[in-house]
This record gives sequence, structure tokens and C-alpha cells, in this order.
Amino acid sequence: MVQKVMATELPGTAAGPAGPRLARAVPVGLLALGALIDWLSTAFPTAMPVWMPFDFSWFAWLGTVLPLWWYWHGLARLAPAERPRRWRQVAFVLGMALIYAVLQTRYLYLAEHEFFLNRIQHVVMHHLGPFLVALGTAGAPIRAGMPAPLARLIGSRPVRAALAPIQQPIVASFLFVGLVAFWLIPAVHFPAMIDHPLFWIMNWSMVLDGLLFWCLVLDPRPSPPARVGFGTRAAMAVGVIFPQIAIGAVIVFTGHDIYPYYNYCGRFFADISPLYDQLVGGMVIWIPPAMMSVIALLLVLNHLRLAEDRAPSADAAMGAMAARWTGRPAGGA
Amino acid sequence: MTVRNTAPLSRGTAAANRVRRWLSVPIPGLAMGLAIGLALAVLAPIAPARASPWHNINVAGSVPPLAFHLTDAATGKMVTAAAFRGKLVLLYLGYTHCPDVCPLTLHNIAVILHDLGKRAAEVRVLFVSVDPDRDTLPVLRDYVALFGPDFVGLRPDANALARLARRYRLAYSVQPKTATHPYEVTHSAAVFVFDRNGDARLLVPSLAQAHPDLSGTAADLERLLAAPQIGWLSRLRQLF
Repeated sequence: MVQKVMATELPGTAAGPAGPRLARAVPVGLLALGALIDWLSTAFPTAMPVWMPFDFSWFAWLGTVLPLWWYWHGLARLAPAERPRRWRQVAFVLGMALIYAVLQTRYLYLAEHEFFLNRIQHVVMHHLGPFLVALGTAGAPIRAGMPAPLARLIGSRPVRAALAPIQQPIVASFLFVGLVAFWLIPAVHFPAMIDHPLFWIMNWSMVLDGLLFWCLVLDPRPSPPARVGFGTRAAMAVGVIFPQIAIGAVIVFTGHDIYPYYNYCGRFFADISPLYDQLVGGMVIWIPPAMMSVIALLLVLNHLRLAEDRAPSADAAMGAMAARWTGRPAGGA
Repeated sequence: MTVRNTAPLSRGTAAANRVRRWLSVPIPGLAMGLAIGLALAVLAPIAPARASPWHNINVAGSVPPLAFHLTDAATGKMVTAAAFRGKLVLLYLGYTHCPDVCPLTLHNIAVILHDLGKRAAEVRVLFVSVDPDRDTLPVLRDYVALFGPDFVGLRPDANALARLARRYRLAYSVQPKTATHPYEVTHSAAVFVFDRNGDARLLVPSLAQAHPDLSGTAADLERLLAAPQIGWLSRLRQLF
């Protein structure tokens, strides 16, 4: 219902008086909707459909719906040329939906009660979801759609200064792999699973780190506006493959159950043995992240090709070199 | 002379610049330090848990305090966790038609309570049915009475059960009988132990395995019974 109202009102945002009023009303509506869902999921957990929050979290709720709303609102405010392409818009919404799905829907229950399903949750919230969100290049629309003071705060010096060290390529890669490893240390995994606040810290550290890493790697722009050059980005995408394979392999080849939490609190699939669950979980860490990295590498190379196409005469030697694999005449058109 | 004069001057502005640069560090630096400190404060419970001399798993500060709203099978009335303040509470989810795990677990708890002697009167064992459709109040009442006077049968409605399981991260499922599949119930094997303040203290992994640690668990319970009633640290933790 809210969607319909927005669809008819938004084109008038820039001029019509209904625009700003609507822009103020939507976040309030989302807060009220969140409160309603919070109450429903507490009072009637068994009546909730599978796509509704299993364990309602305000952070997850607002972290999903507010950026989506800002994005939508911001798209209408941007000039058509500044808007991300349609497939990028789809990627952004899909990424947000995937992160919501593994963090809020009934899938959360599965992720709490089966190691390999927990690993799939982590792959989605650290790799696949943030990867798609990063492909969406949503920065400009979200900044255009959010309240101006918040947009100013995000662009302010202290915030950028705090982000700079963790966007340093080596630190970012180390964090990316280190967080995967940290939450898998058996002595850490147990309290992280059973302690509710720690569980949310684990999940959100994964989501935020995934966003930071993939936004850095999948930036389509060349280096001056982007933080790091194409070569470094390709190296980051490939570099994180090997430690993740090592982590996956250690878990696959450990001959005994190192995550007893799932035994204590019960497995979703009662027929699957702890060791087999652990083995499949290890495979999930081993294979899909490596595949994502390869896709990321191809995308980085493609971004490099497109960037060079856009500035063909800048470096004749590079153009001649690129001609070998872009199939375009040296020197460009 | 003039060169000598300007040199310290330019060095002075360079130093001022350096100071200014260093001053720009504190805000993000403080923010990061705060974040790291907060993370450490949250992770702190992990360290004592590892060095724990308990026979079972120390979950103090990790698992939420005892809270529920269920029907007491003996009286047919609603009870809450407040009714068990001052008692050591063992919380276990199961069902009366359970062929092996539940009766064995409850029997082993009865053995432990027997070992505790007189102090067993300060312990309550809460058996919450995950199959309330079949476990009616009389069925549940007669079942827990088999194991001793300190056993309390609690019958939840579906929503109360879902809330309780979600709170303590416990898995359960009930699949009614179909043409091809028998009636099937699954539930976790863990027993949570709460102290007399209602704070979660221990997780007993399973009392239904081949060689359950009965004497160790009895020693743990005795230690909890001997402990003073309240600690300010656990009170503080409850706030979070």
C-alpha cells in the first residue's frame, strides 16, 4: 500500500508540496510498521509467515528498509544520466533482499541450528549479498535520498578518516578473511551462537565488512575517484581466495566435532550426523567464496576495459596493449 | 642571520602542522578505541568460560535469565519464572511419549538430586513439553511425578513454546502422523541450569549419553547451591 502511494506521488517530489511531506512521513511509517512487526513476532511467533522476521531486530529492520527507501527516493531526485543502470538497480535490491532473508526470515532459525546452513548464511551476508549491493553502485542515490544532515555526516572528515585505515587494501583484505576466521574459532563460535547480543555483533560485523570490501573491489570507476587502482583490486579479489580455502580445508579435514553448540541446542536435520554437517559446512567456506572471487576478478577486468575505452588516447602504449584483448583498434575511436 | 631566523620559524610551522595533524587523529582514534573496548567488554565472558573449572559448560552472562509464561501441570495455573526465585532451576525440553532421551535424562537428574540429599529440596526441575497437543495437563502431571517431587511439568501454548525455544536457542519440531510417516518429535538434549537469582549459569550438554557425568553435575549443583545469593556483576549484566 505504501509502495503504491509512493509510486504516484514521487515524480512530483522536486516541485509538489506533497513531496517533502511524504519524504518525512515514510520513515515514520516504517518505524510504526517495525513496531507492529516487533509486537507480532513477540506475541505470535508461530503465526508469522516464513518471510516475516523470526527474531525481530530493529537494527536489521531499519538497516534494510531505510536504505531501500532512501535509494528509491534518491533515484527520483537524481538526473537520469546520474542514475545507476537498470541491472545495477536490480542487483542492489536483490542484494538487500538476500541479506534481509538470511538475517530476519525463518531462515535465521535454520542458520542457528545447522552448521552448514549457518555457513551458507555467512556466505550470503558476507559475500553474495554485499557483492550484489556493491554492484548496485547505490552510493549516489542513497546520499541523495537520505536526510541532508545524515548525508553530510557520512561525508564528514572524521567519518572518512575513520574509514580510511580499514579501506587500505591490505587491512581490508586482512579484515575480510580475519573476520571469517575469528568467528569460526571454536572457543568464539560457541558464545557467539548462544549469546544474543554477540550473535548480532557477529552477523553485522560480517555484513558491514562485506559491504566495505566489495564496494572497494567492485567500484567501476578508475583510481583517482576510486580508492585503489584496478591492479590492486584484482589482487585483493584473488588474494582472499587462498586463506578462505585453507579455513575451509581445516574444517573439512578435522576428524572430530569442533562445534558442539549445534549438538547441545539441537540440529534442524536430526538425521545428519555432526561430522557430516561440519564437512559440508567446511565445503561451503571452501568453494563458493573462491567462485565469487573469480567473478569479482572478471568484473574488475571488465571495469578496467571500460575505463580504458572511455579514455582511449590517454596512453597510446596501454591502448595498443589493450587492443590485443579488447579487439578494438589501437589508439581507440 | 636571516636564514638562521627563518629556519626555526619554518620548523615551528611544520611542528604546528604536525601537532594539528596529530590532533585530527583523536576523534576517529577515540571512536575506534571505544569500538575495540566495547568489543572486548562483550567478548570478556569468553575468557573465564575457557578457564572454567566447572564440570559442565559455563554460560553465565551469555544466556538470558530465566523467563517464561507456562501452565503448571500440577495446578493447571499459569506460572512465571518469579515463582522459582530462590530455587536452583534445571530447564529441559522434551515430551512424555519420548522413548529414550527424555526418560533417561530425567532419571539421571533424579539420581543427581538423590546424591544432593537434603539440599535437593532447593532444586526444581522444569520439564517443558514440546508436544503440548498430546501432553495434556494430567498426562504431563502423572509423567513428571514418576521422577520425584521436585519435578515440575510445564505445558506451553504454541507461541509460548516458540518464544522459550527462541530465547534459549533450542531446536524442536513436531510432525503429526501421515500415511507414510509416523508421528515424529525432535528436541534438543541440553539442560540449562539457573541459579537462585534466575541467572543462567550452566549448560549440561546431555544426560542421555552413554556415560553422563552425574557426579560432576552433582558437584556443580552443590557449588551453585553454596554460592551467595547475588552478585552485583550478574545484576549489571542483566541490564544488557
